[in-house]
Parts: sequence; structure tokens; C-alpha cells
Amino acid sequence: MTQPAAELVTVTIDGIAVQVPKAMTVIQAAEEAGIVIPRYCYHPAMSSPAQCRMCLVEVKGAPKLVPSCVQRVQDGMEVRTDSPAARKARRAVIEFLLVNHPLDCPICDAAGQCELQDYAFETGQLRTRSVDPKRVLGRDHVTPDVLYFADRCVLCTRCVRFMEEIAREPTLVVVQRGDRATIDTMAGELFEHPFSMNIVDVCPVGALVNEDFLFKPRAWDLDRFPSVCPGCAQGCNITLDTKENRVVRAKPRPHPEVNAFWMCDHGRKLLAGWVPGGERGERLEAPQIRDGDRLVAVSWPQALERAAEGLRQAGGPGRAIVSAAAANESLYALRKVMQALGFAGGAFRVPTGPTAVLEGFPKLQLRAERVPNAVGAALLGFRRSADLFADLRGRRGALLVLGDPLHDAPADFGRDAAFYLYAGSVASPAARNAHVLLPVTTFAEMDGTFTNFEGRVQRFTQALTPPGMARPAWVALSALSSRMGSGAMLDSAAEAFAALAAEFEPFRGMTYETLGFGGRITEAAEGAAAVTSGGK
Amino acid sequence: MRDWHPAVAAAEPSQKAERDPAAPLFGGVYRERFERILGRYPTKRAALLPVLHLAQEVRGWLAPETMTRVAELLDLTPAQVRAVASFYTMFNLKPVGSYLVQVCTNIACDLCGAGKVLERFLSETGTEPGAISADGRYTVVETECLGACGFATAVLINDRFYESVTPENVPALLAELP
Ligand code: SF4
Ligand code: SF4
Ligand code: FES
Repeated sequence: MTQPAAELVTVTIDGIAVQVPKAMTVIQAAEEAGIVIPRYCYHPAMSSPAQCRMCLVEVKGAPKLVPSCVQRVQDGMEVRTDSPAARKARRAVIEFLLVNHPLDCPICDAAGQCELQDYAFETGQLRTRSVDPKRVLGRDHVTPDVLYFADRCVLCTRCVRFMEEIAREPTLVVVQRGDRATIDTMAGELFEHPFSMNIVDVCPVGALVNEDFLFKPRAWDLDRFPSVCPGCAQGCNITLDTKENRVVRAKPRPHPEVNAFWMCDHGRKLLAGWVPGGERGERLEAPQIRDGDRLVAVSWPQALERAAEGLRQAGGPGRAIVSAAAANESLYALRKVMQALGFAGGAFRVPTGPTAVLEGFPKLQLRAERVPNAVGAALLGFRRSADLFADLRGRRGALLVLGDPLHDAPADFGRDAAFYLYAGSVASPAARNAHVLLPVTTFAEMDGTFTNFEGRVQRFTQALTPPGMARPAWVALSALSSRMGSGAMLDSAAEAFAALAAEFEPFRGMTYETLGFGGRITEAAEGAAAVTSGGK
Repeated sequence: MRDWHPAVAAAEPSQKAERDPAAPLFGGVYRERFERILGRYPTKRAALLPVLHLAQEVRGWLAPETMTRVAELLDLTPAQVRAVASFYTMFNLKPVGSYLVQVCTNIACDLCGAGKVLERFLSETGTEPGAISADGRYTVVETECLGACGFATAVLINDRFYESVTPENVPALLAELP
């Protein structure tokens, strides 16, 4: 663990012996043994108040049950998490928690992912012994995006401690006491914080829910895919929860060195209900080629043939614009096309926005650079430009654009090019000036990697089926470059990445396998980070 | 001889020094007492309960502005102050009259006629339970056990304790208040 020579002790949990560092608590040691002790107030990233008593276990020789979330392990300790006494204690805790609980699972967003539901089911109590009417507290907003259903709250105070210990803005507290106790702010006012929606994730029940998600999908209808947030250079590890080929929400996926258990609200809002270009009706779904003033939809082979021919005629040196939101694999495939034409260079821009630091885990920041792969683009030889369109003006030859939607480009963008190839997912007016348009997927529709602010290369996986004929850019562009005699046609994202790693020094030795889902840091990252933050 | 007596150990009756919410919370002697309280605790947060009592002594109740001011003085957020203040029933979160009359109606006092004592207080002051009398002087409420079951009926007026109160001596008791 943290100390290299941490003293190990042996504990037996439900008959399974494990060796763990002396500083561990029983609840953590049990996880090492593959046993998840029921808990409400305990959260691995926060302090343990030991107040819910759900985690009580039997320790041989101890006079009473002990709360495993604060009890440290001792050598030779024998713990039973499932003895009759421990079960009875859990049953009692659940019975108390359900005294005033409305039992409204059928309309609760947390149903199917609720620790109260799970454990209530496990203890098997079918009806309450309480004869008094339940007290009713109702629901209210705590932030503009988050609703609090007071009657479902188990008062574990995880949300309170998140705001106090992780966000370091103690705006949420427990007010009142006994059966009137609720979570609230000073005067019932809403609070705002750039990381506020993490309180929904830490809530073990359905008390804090995201209004955006309210009454929409059921948890068991969702498919979940490991991914990386494209919202900024931080590269938070996330899961994309999808239903009917739409992202309905993003949740943080723990990574001890990138985002711990958290992600920012900007990222969540960006991804919830994500339909790239769809709202503008501009999503590019079929390859198109120019026929005089018109664009005509064609098959992939026709489009690629036309692109190869057009580029060959235009010849080098050309110009290239890439998006720093494109995957490393796609950027690499464009490089191969550029190599076929005999030119290097290429530029990308970095949209920026205000930053926000998560005080309790300061490495996690909503970074000013609002793109996921600026460092990757720099490591692959592209240059950050402060004024893309001015930089390119007056240069002729071939023009290649990958990914940048060009919404702010001048109306005559690309008209001066001998041949203009656009590979992107939205067909903005400037993109429609192209001679050939190739429909490519967004990050959610493909496998690939991003390189985050510190040069960590991280994998994301395909969560959605691409619309129409769209393909990952690395598929389309490697097909094009192989036609032009530069590089092979790439069959998988893993293969594309392997080819990239073989060619570009900073990525040397990396494969999808060695990256795993923790990612790896490139050697040359520092230099590249300097490049991307340097502006022009 | 009167047959009720203020408990010997009782504190001074509360001084409602400054009820104007815009006035400074702790001035003069209250400032000194505030500083003394702070000196007794290792952290400012630890002084929260006695400081809230002091604030209530000054204002009579803990208005949101008062809690916010206490939060500033102790480097807390207003919400953290509210969390503590709302937990304890001895903090008034609504305005009360200059004299808060708390009549114990728990079992021992009730058996000895606390209900009648309560009624007498209400009729003498012309109020409803929890309301403020028209002259702003009184609020009468029921309270749980005051720990003086041997001397029922027990009554607490601000910080002063009265034992063996009967309906008959309510008028005299009220008249004695300054
Ligand atoms: S709202 Fe959720 S996280 Fe907060 S105290 Fe209640 S149950 Fe716990
Ligand atoms: S900090 Fe950046 S990467 Fe992380 S969730 Fe926010 S926008 Fe996404
Ligand atoms: S998890 Fe241990 S007492 Fe709550």
C-alpha cells in the first residue's frame, strides 16, 4: 500500500484467510477476501462516522458486535460477517430504516441499484411491525439539478461529508433530529458547486437523484460501457450508461490517479442525452461527393476512390486541420494520409473555459482545455493554433479536415483548396464546401484512446451503434491511405494503436493490453503538455 | 412565605440586550464573554454551543441572520450552525416573547396539576401555546421533564427555575418579573 514496508497481518473473514496491511479496517480487509460487508455511512474516500451500524460483524473474543468500517485489523483476528448475531443486527438496522420509508421502489430512480433495496430483500422482512402512520417529509431541490426525496434518506451523511471533505464547501448538513431529521442547506436555498452531482453517486439509496434522469430509464434497462470523458483534458474515467442507443447518463469510474471516485458536472451535462450534431440535424450519415453545386450520397468505395484520386491530383504540400477531440488512432490514420501526400504539420485548436478544482482531490480539475486529446495530437506532430483560419489563409493544395465541426469557419472556407476532404460527424456549412465528406463516428461510437493532460493514454470503448454509414475515422482514413500506398488498412482499434505505437516514439511499447483500463503515461508527456498549453 | 422558590442554583434571568437583528451581536460585556468562551476551547468550532446560547441570550431567539453572524465569528458555514441549532430544542428558531415560560407537563408534574398551571399561565398572559403575547412580554410553552419531579410543578422562565408552582401563585410569579 502506501508504505513500502507496511506490516502485514493475517485475518480470517468468514473462513477465508487474507494477509493485509495493519492499517486496514475490517471492511477493507473483507473486500480483499471478496466479501462486501453491507454499509451505508462508509465510503472509501471519506471519513467513517460509524453511525449507520449496518456493518456490524462478529469478532471472535469481542464482547459485542463491532462496526467493521472503523475496526482495524489485528493479527489472528477471526471475523464472521454472516453469523446469526451479525444477521440479526443488520435485520434490526433495516427494520428501523424502513419504519418511515415510503417503500416506493416502483417509482424510485434508485430501484435496481439501491443498497437499501438489496439488503432489505436479503433480510427478507416482508412487512413492518410498526403500527404508527409513517411520517411524510416530501421532496425538494438541493441544487438546480439534484432532487432530495427526504423520506427515502437513510441519513448516512455521505452527501454531507462529500461537501465537507471532498468539495470542501460544507453547504449540506443534517438539520433537526429524530424522525424529522433531513439533509438541508442553511435556509433551504439551493447550492451550486462544479462537482455537486457526485452527491447523487455517493447516496446509497434513492434520496438524492438527478432531475435530468428522473422517471426516465430503469437502472436494469441500462447498458454500461467503460469510457473516458471528452469534456476536458483531465480525462476522467467514466461509464456511459446507454439505453436504446442513447447515452442517458455518465457516471465516474474509479481511478486512483485521475479522478478518484468523482467527475465534474460539466462532463455529466455534456454527456447526458448526448446526440452529437443530432440536435442541429447536421449529423453526417453517408459519404458524399461533390457534383458541381450539389453533394451526392455515395457508397464508401466510391467516396474513397474519389478522395484518393482528388488528393493525388492536388498533390502536396497540403494543409490539415484536426480536432483535439479525435482519438489517437484517428489522428494517426490521418497522418498516414498526409504521408502519402508527402507533407507533415497540421494544426488543431483548443477551446477553453473556466477551471474548477476539486479541493479534496486537487488533481481532479475541470481543465481550461475543453478537449480530451490535445496532448495526444501534439505527440502525433500536430500543432496547437490560436487562430486556425488565419493561419491557413492563402495556402493552396490539398485541404484535410478531421473532426473539427468548423461551425465558426468563414463561409468560403476551403473554396481555395485544390481538393478539400472533410472527415467528421457533423455537416456544418463550412464542411459542405468539401469535395468529399466522410461520415465518421464520435468517441462514443468507437474504440480508441485519448491522451490526457499529464500524457496518460487511456482507452475508451464503443457504447453506441454509429448512425447510418458512419465509421471510425481510423477505419475510413486507413482505407484511404492504403489506397494511396501509405500504410496498411487497419482492422481494429487495437491494431491501429499498435501501428501508432510502433511509429511514434512517445507511445513505444504500449498496446491495448498493457494499457488496460488504468492507462499509461507517455515518456514525452511533459514536453507535449508544454506545447499544448503554449498557445500558438 | 411563598410556597414556590426560585432554585438556588439558577442562572440570572436572560437579558434581552439587543433584539434588533441589525445591531452588532456581541457588544460590550457580551464581547468579553464571547472572547472568554473562545479561550476555553481548542478550536472555534468547539465553542459553537455556548456561543449559540450567548447569542440567544442577546437576541431571544436564533434568527437566520444571527446564525449567519455566529458562523462568521466561528469560521463555519451558516448551514453548519443551523445543523447544530436545529438539533437542540433549547434553541428558539422562532421569535419568542421577552419571557419564555416553559411549563413541564411530563408525568410527575402532570399528576400534580401541571395542566392547570399551564392554563393559568396562558390565561394570565392572554396567549396561545407558542404564541407571543400582545405586549411582546410572554411566550408560554409546554416542555418535557425539567428534572425536578420532587417539586412538581416545575417551570422554567428564561434561565430561571421555579418549583412547586400552583395555578394560584401564577399571577404573583408573573408580577415579580422585572
Ligand atoms: S441523501 Fe443519501 S447520501 Fe445523503 S444522507 Fe441521505 S441517504 Fe445518505
Ligand atoms: S473534469 Fe474534465 S474529464 Fe473530468 S468529468 Fe469534468 S469535463 Fe470530464
Ligand atoms: S458503515 Fe460502519 S457504521 Fe456505517
